[in-house]
Amino acid sequence: MTIFRYALLRAIRNPLTLIATYLLPVVLILIPSLWEDGAFISGFAFLAILVMSSAYLSSLSILTDKADGAVLRILAAPVTMRRYLTENLFACMVPLFAQISLISILGAILYDWSLTLSLAVFLCYTVLTLASVTMAFAWHCLFKGAEGNIAGFSMVLFLTAFLGGMTFPVEVFPGPLQYVGAVFPAYWAMRGLDVVQELGTVSGEYWLAIAAMLLFAIAYLLYGGKRRIV
Amino acid sequence: MKTYLSPRFCFRLCQIAGIGLLFALWIGSDEIAGFFLLLSLVIMALLRWRFPRLNRTVLFDLMACISMFALWDYAPYALAVPLFAAMYFGAYWAVLAGLYLFFYFDPFLAAVLILSALGGVFLGLWERERQEKIKTRDMSAGRYYELEELQADLTAALAQVERMTAVAERTRIARDIHDNAGHEIVAAYISLQTARAMMDGASADALELYDAALERLDSGANKIREAVHNLSAVTTLGVETLEEICNRFPGHAVTFRVYGDTSGIPMYVWNMLESCLSESLTNVSRHAAAKRVTVDLDATPYLVRLCIENDGVTAPSRAAGSGLRNLRQRAAAIGGNLSVDAGGVSFRLVCVIPLKEERDEVTHSR
Repeated sequence: MTIFRYALLRAIRNPLTLIATYLLPVVLILIPSLWEDGAFISGFAFLAILVMSSAYLSSLSILTDKADGAVLRILAAPVTMRRYLTENLFACMVPLFAQISLISILGAILYDWSLTLSLAVFLCYTVLTLASVTMAFAWHCLFKGAEGNIAGFSMVLFLTAFLGGMTFPVEVFPGPLQYVGAVFPAYWAMRGLDVVQELGTVSGEYWLAIAAMLLFAIAYLLYGGKRRIV
Repeated sequence: MKTYLSPRFCFRLCQIAGIGLLFALWIGSDEIAGFFLLLSLVIMALLRWRFPRLNRTVLFDLMACISMFALWDYAPYALAVPLFAAMYFGAYWAVLAGLYLFFYFDPFLAAVLILSALGGVFLGLWERERQEKIKTRDMSAGRYYELEELQADLTAALAQVERMTAVAERTRIARDIHDNAGHEIVAAYISLQTARAMMDGASADALELYDAALERLDSGANKIREAVHNLSAVTTLGVETLEEICNRFPGHAVTFRVYGDTSGIPMYVWNMLESCLSESLTNVSRHAAAKRVTVDLDATPYLVRLCIENDGVTAPSRAAGSGLRNLRQRAAAIGGNLSVDAGGVSFRLVCVIPLKEERDEVTHSR
């Protein structure tokens, strides 16, 4: 578990990651107007953007390993690519898991979320985290340099948030544009969260959204799991 | 140089384009089943890309498409993607999926499916032809490298044979001088020294000349002794070299036995035997957990046989290494052969080389 330990330490030591992972979500959950029924953009959407950003920031250690050549030294040791990626994945997931747990507990305390709602929110964000981290892993495979990677991902994050209904409800878009965001997990996360917000409980559509995000995670893992040293 | 326009690249491009078009159709229809079908197709395509041995999983794609016929209007069109992949992988049985057209004929759908299938077949054939060419090229390159290695070995062996022949010739000359001329001169010198005592009545000039001649003879004898010493080889040759190789072998006690008269074995044969013994002992140290290694050298007037036996490896390896292959070719080049016997309780490598006279006789008898 050496890779896991050091990847976790690197993720936690980064002040930007700490702010995005813990400080901003807590600030968000403390703004009551975002969590009221009927808000134009709910706190759930902002939180989803934060989850995706945090996932990307946590996974930057893989990019650093590639850029400074550390991955060559790591893979020269008796470590398989699968083990390297798995331990990095867990290292990225653990801080976000803690973040989502914290938000779910705070939401239940501050806004009287029912147990079902809290659990549904927790599950939805956890799966979104998994999909976001694996998406970041797959994204890192596309770029050799850090600058292009970060700039490209910023654009993708913006597109995801925009088309996924995080900044505006998708219903305000013209016909076909309402569905283009479906190629991103965020769209399905918002669908699942909308159902939970509206009904206060889970339904078939919620589970479909969860299944879609899991399938996205599998697809990203398959793409990002290919051994690419440079 | 990297080739960008490869059949595999075209295949992936077509797959991405196909799924993109289907996604556009899905946007128009907004059937959630269609989206899940497309996502499944993407995952399966990635799975096959990641693990190329799972090509046959294209059957799953076909089944998924067929099962979605009732849930999504465009599912029959989605059939084109797995059909294209199946044709590319050579799974021609997938055309059975086209039987759907018998029940529900749509000219546009038929055209799409036929074009997809033909495109897959074309790209598949192109890919297989390309792989065949790459394989042929790799085999040719492998043979070329092997030949280069053999040539290097032969050149090194030739140089060593030249050196050994020169050393052997110098040793023979030194031995001849020492055994024949040297002994005669020393005997003459002793006789002349004895005769000096009998020359009391000779004149002083004659005695002076005699003593000067004796002195020069003594100097000559010393020079001959020095020349013989300088001509003598400091390295070992022939059977001594084989014995030295056996003694130097680390980790195992090697029993070396010689049978027959080895004086008539020419230098090029010794060179071959040395290479053979060195390679065998190296292989023993690398691949065998041997407790006992025995080297037997049998020399007859017609052939030489070197047998290296160990009790470490009893199963033959799948293919001989390049060292053994080169030795086999070198042995064949001088009319001999190299064989491996691993059938019993020990591993045995035997090198048999006919001597020149024998080969000449065989040639003449033909």
